[in-house]
Amino acid sequence: MKIELTVNGEQREADVWEGESLLFALREKLGLPGSKNACEQGECGSCSVLLDGTLVCACLVLAAQADGHDVVTVEGLGATGEPHPVQEAFVEAGAVQCGFCTPGLVVATVDLLAHSPQPSEDEIREALSGNLCRCTGYAKIFDAVRLAAQ
Amino acid sequence: MGALGNGTRGLAGGTDLVPLLRDGLVAADRLVDLRRVIPSGIDGTAIGAGTTLAELEADPQIPDALREACRLAASPQLRNMGTIGGNLLQATRCWYWRLNYPCRLHGGDVCHAREGQHREHAIFANDYCASAHPSDVAAALLALDATVETTRAAGPLAGLYRLPDDHDRNLVDLGADELITRIHYERPEQSVYLKAMDRKRWAFALVGVAAARYDDGVRLGLAGVAPIPWRLASLDDLEQATPLPGTAYKLELARALGRRAIAAVGG
Repeated sequence: MKIELTVNGEQREADVWEGESLLFALREKLGLPGSKNACEQGECGSCSVLLDGTLVCACLVLAAQADGHDVVTVEGLGATGEPHPVQEAFVEAGAVQCGFCTPGLVVATVDLLAHSPQPSEDEIREALSGNLCRCTGYAKIFDAVRLAAQ
Repeated sequence: MGALGNGTRGLAGGTDLVPLLRDGLVAADRLVDLRRVIPSGIDGTAIGAGTTLAELEADPQIPDALREACRLAASPQLRNMGTIGGNLLQATRCWYWRLNYPCRLHGGDVCHAREGQHREHAIFANDYCASAHPSDVAAALLALDATVETTRAAGPLAGLYRLPDDHDRNLVDLGADELITRIHYERPEQSVYLKAMDRKRWAFALVGVAAARYDDGVRLGLAGVAPIPWRLASLDDLEQATPLPGTAYKLELARALGRRAIAAVGG
């Protein structure tokens, strides 16, 4: 089936199989591999995107359900040579180890700061609890969120 | 709605159904997106089945037990997606069932968990199938004396669930073409939900205890202790538990959380 959706501010079309996930469509059909494909169970958060402004796991959204909706992926946050302030904070704080969880964490952090520009420690931990970093680099990640909030 | 049945499955938040479809544990010829069909939103003590857990956890009108049950469930992403109706219908986390072992819930004649790995399994009604029901929300709603309205009928939440037997392996008593539309709860004087997990966030309940105080006493609902959400008339009923060797600790957890929950609501 054909779907039409807004991705990172651009009107896009994709031909998708009915059971296909939004994540697969983004990565394989729309050329946006920033959202990562790890657990495909909604457990790791590496595929986090904003769907109509709400933080979701793209692996659990069917592409067909995104027809007519608005999606923002990590690629839509900054531009080449002009990273988003949250991305700059992640670099500055050294919050990247293997980097696989980073796009999801960046999207989740942008979502957190949009709702709560000066988050408490508890809010940061709560907001990022759905994003797993298996390098266990959480301390630097929390540093990056605090830096971005300044 | 009549189009459901015959290999058609309704899809709302998708947080449980999509992985089940992907793993081949549920088959569907056709999926119907229910999100624009089923009611959503909070109206007094009525909650549309399509209301997300994230909406419920943030609404100060919602009793503490239900807000906490939502807040302590899954992760922010999944709470943004998952609906209260879907949460009540979620499948067990029993790893034998999830790995498609031919267990009783899959129509087989053995409960692998009873003889095998069952640390996260049931301490009540676990003779036939030892799976544990994972819904924090259902435990809270049992304590809040909730009724469930479907496209066919309305009745107590406890009646939505059934224990499996040789004739019927389903844990839910809902027709193939029947949808949950609303949940109604009774506003308590005070309520609380306490949840023991392997880590502080993003884990299923080892034991979850909801307590709600009303004029006539405290009502208790438990998660993670039986194949279905479990209501206790009082903590004395914990003496009726039949823990397996690996789940004896859950009885201690239930006692401790139960005492704390009752104290917290002033019961």
